[in-house]
Amino acid sequence: MLSMLEEFVLLAVDERTGQLESRHELGTGYALIGAVFFDLALTRKIDTDTEEIQILDTSASGNLIWDRVIAEMRGRPDVKTVRDWIEAMFRRNDDLEGEALASLVEQGILQHEKTKRLWIIDVERFPLIDGRAQKSVKERLAQAIFGDGIPDPRDIMLVSLAEPCGLLRCVASEPELKMRRERIEMLSNLETISRKVVAAITELDASFRHAPPRLS
Amino acid sequence: MIELAQQTRGGWCVVTIRGRADAEAADEMERALRAAVNQNHRVAADFANVDYISSAGLRAVLQAGRAAQERKTEFTVCQLRGPVKKVFEISGMQHVLRIEEELPC
Repeated sequence: MLSMLEEFVLLAVDERTGQLESRHELGTGYALIGAVFFDLALTRKIDTDTEEIQILDTSASGNLIWDRVIAEMRGRPDVKTVRDWIEAMFRRNDDLEGEALASLVEQGILQHEKTKRLWIIDVERFPLIDGRAQKSVKERLAQAIFGDGIPDPRDIMLVSLAEPCGLLRCVASEPELKMRRERIEMLSNLETISRKVVAAITELDASFRHAPPRLS
Repeated sequence: MIELAQQTRGGWCVVTIRGRADAEAADEMERALRAAVNQNHRVAADFANVDYISSAGLRAVLQAGRAAQERKTEFTVCQLRGPVKKVFEISGMQHVLRIEEELPC
């Protein structure tokens, strides 16, 4: 089974061009960290309530990203809230997207292509080799959005993460999504940790965009 | 630490939960609720004595609700109190689960 981080990154790969949607968007950077927190929550490494994150299990999982994040968290007892953790992890500048892409390449889902545009500019693409995993993610998200039942918590989390990054457009058209806006908002609110992560992404993104430019 | 008990009253299987519904208790709570949902037509989860619920605890209730939907079992969460009630309200759980002030039986 793919991790939440891998599913989130896979969702961002354009199935026709192999290029990444919303790459380098600030919100996406925060969302990648959010995806790691979802992975840690689903594997019971961490838990949250309305206030703080609690670390439950620091034993090695075998997943290098999870173990690195947990080790970082263990060393910083002063950081407690989801928002502060997302900000702290963002400052580390880890290439979570690159690591997830490398893992997807290794698993035979994507291939990595590097070309030059105008002989100078590097262009990276990640065409799908095996489209089944991406198709399954999109189908699950569509079912969560357009169905009326209670989705799997994993799919609830993915909807909540994809929404602020504009990635639900990979699943349905704007008018279709507009018709289900209420349902998307309801799902994004349902899981305590995803609600906290989405609120943090929105706040941090807004505070960064409204920050005065630095004078050099 | 959580305590779980189950009894049948007036055609309802009542699962009584006591203590903290946190990550440590979530699996046990989910198992008990799912088992009740799988074996009965009407299940009430009594939260009167739950004083804390975390993200993992809430997820366990959601999973039980999903299982109930799949099996077409009537499932209701009852007697939420204080901070636990607030967490359910903030999450909007009333949109996907039937939530009652009192037990239905």
